[in-house]
Amino acid sequence: MTARRAPLGLVAGARSGDKGGNANLGVWTRTDEAYQWLAAYLTVERLRELLPEARPLEVERYELPNLRALNFVLVGLLGEGVAASTRMDAQAKGLGEYLRAKHVDIPESLL
Amino acid sequence: MAQPLRIANCSGFYGDRLAAAQEMVDGGPIDVLTGDWLAELTMLILAKNQMRDPASGYARTFVTQMEHVMGTCLDRGIKVVSNAGGLSPAGCAAAVQEVADKLGLNPSIAYVEGDDLMPRLDDLRAAGVGFENFDTGEPLGEHQVITANAYIGGWGMAEALAAGADIVITGRSTDAALVVGPAAWRHGWARDDWDRLAGAVVAGHVIECGAQATGGNYSFFQEVPGLEHPGFPIAEVAEDGSSIITKHDSHGGLVSVGTVTAQLLYEIAGPEYLNPDVTARFDTIALAEEAPNRVRVTGVRGQPPPSTLKVSMNYLGGHRATVTLMLTGLDIDEKAALAERALWASTPGGRESFADTHVQLIRSDQDDPATNEVAVAQLRITVKDPDERKVGRAFSSKVTELALANYPGFFGGPGGTQSYGVYWPALVPRDLVWQEVVVGGNRTVVES
Repeated sequence: MTARRAPLGLVAGARSGDKGGNANLGVWTRTDEAYQWLAAYLTVERLRELLPEARPLEVERYELPNLRALNFVLVGLLGEGVAASTRMDAQAKGLGEYLRAKHVDIPESLL
Repeated sequence: MAQPLRIANCSGFYGDRLAAAQEMVDGGPIDVLTGDWLAELTMLILAKNQMRDPASGYARTFVTQMEHVMGTCLDRGIKVVSNAGGLSPAGCAAAVQEVADKLGLNPSIAYVEGDDLMPRLDDLRAAGVGFENFDTGEPLGEHQVITANAYIGGWGMAEALAAGADIVITGRSTDAALVVGPAAWRHGWARDDWDRLAGAVVAGHVIECGAQATGGNYSFFQEVPGLEHPGFPIAEVAEDGSSIITKHDSHGGLVSVGTVTAQLLYEIAGPEYLNPDVTARFDTIALAEEAPNRVRVTGVRGQPPPSTLKVSMNYLGGHRATVTLMLTGLDIDEKAALAERALWASTPGGRESFADTHVQLIRSDQDDPATNEVAVAQLRITVKDPDERKVGRAFSSKVTELALANYPGFFGGPGGTQSYGVYWPALVPRDLVWQEVVVGGNRTVVES
């Protein structure tokens, strides 16, 4: 299978937000083929490689094949919540678009 | 079988589009107008408002929206169900009553109380409720709590509607409960109709954030027509708990399997989505595009909810100040290090004198920059402390004093000082919380 280096966002949508001090990062695809690849590719370890901000954190990962989606919870990314957070993006609104901008090896057949 | 109940959303947060209520009422047929005005941060903001003015504590924009649509809603029998009551459902109801009086209208206005645990906090703690942090397990300790609200479900709203209310105002009900309550009332669901309730929770979760279901904040935004002004979403909830997510035909935006999927993933954790009335299994949701801008939601399974309710608490954390220094061109790391060294050296007691500090160097600068702006990196320094004086002028003046005496190209400087709250999620046993529904002066207690 040949792969091409391209932004993850070409094959995946994302939506992110805050729950207290945790950030949630949902990633979804539009075809079963793309989901099969994403579910195999985007492990917690891979997410930590892509997002250095997640490396020191506990990361929960959930599969929702019925929605062709993965959901990650980045525990403690936002510290003590939006009001106390010192992050530029205190509510993790842009976290999903940040992940989509990361370049990864995507199978040609999905592009 | 009863017709599906058409529930329109007109608000995803306190500050959302003011005209949305009018747009949803005028845009086509609906049965219920609802919306969410409360976020974790909003409860804190309302508490700060209430400290300045005891008569406040609710979302005032909702009252303005009622001024826009109350007459039409009463004419057409559209029920209004809102959590804009925030910390003061009774105060919000009184403000809406004033609007009615001014307009010469006579709606039945109900409100639901019981979520606010502040008056009972000492008793609950004495009774052994620890309010340990739900995420970290830490004890609450001696923090100065300023809000404590249990997330309540939809049965109080259903009770109010059954008693003939035209407008129902709650405090910290869950966002999804604003759909569960009206649907349970209209379709006569039982408390253990788990699958039906779970279907309504999913529909409620999809429409609770306004235009995020209709193309707003959507990764594939280039595919959404009319995103200059997307319409707000509608859930048509059927008797069996299935629903269709849609929007008014004349409104901009898009309802597709994609836009609904994206919103389903917002602010969730695992496949079990906990709500006070039911736990919805998000791994059982099936989505299908029935027609353009009509997405059918079926198959949702529900389970009994946990024996605890989530509590949203905020305590005063202290004061903080953030300084943003702009660093241009070469030697960014060294420039940042110099600024930081000088700043801490000029602060009595140094960096260690603050309760907490946070330093971030944002390397937005580019090599061989094409324009001035892309030559600039940002050094953000935040200091926090319980003592307002330490992070106030004493700190900002030390930053200002660096202007001519530090790295080349110095610009930027201190922002304001603000007090900040800390969000503290906790749990309370369900049987210690009840809802009190007030309609026309009659108070009814409803189990949580």
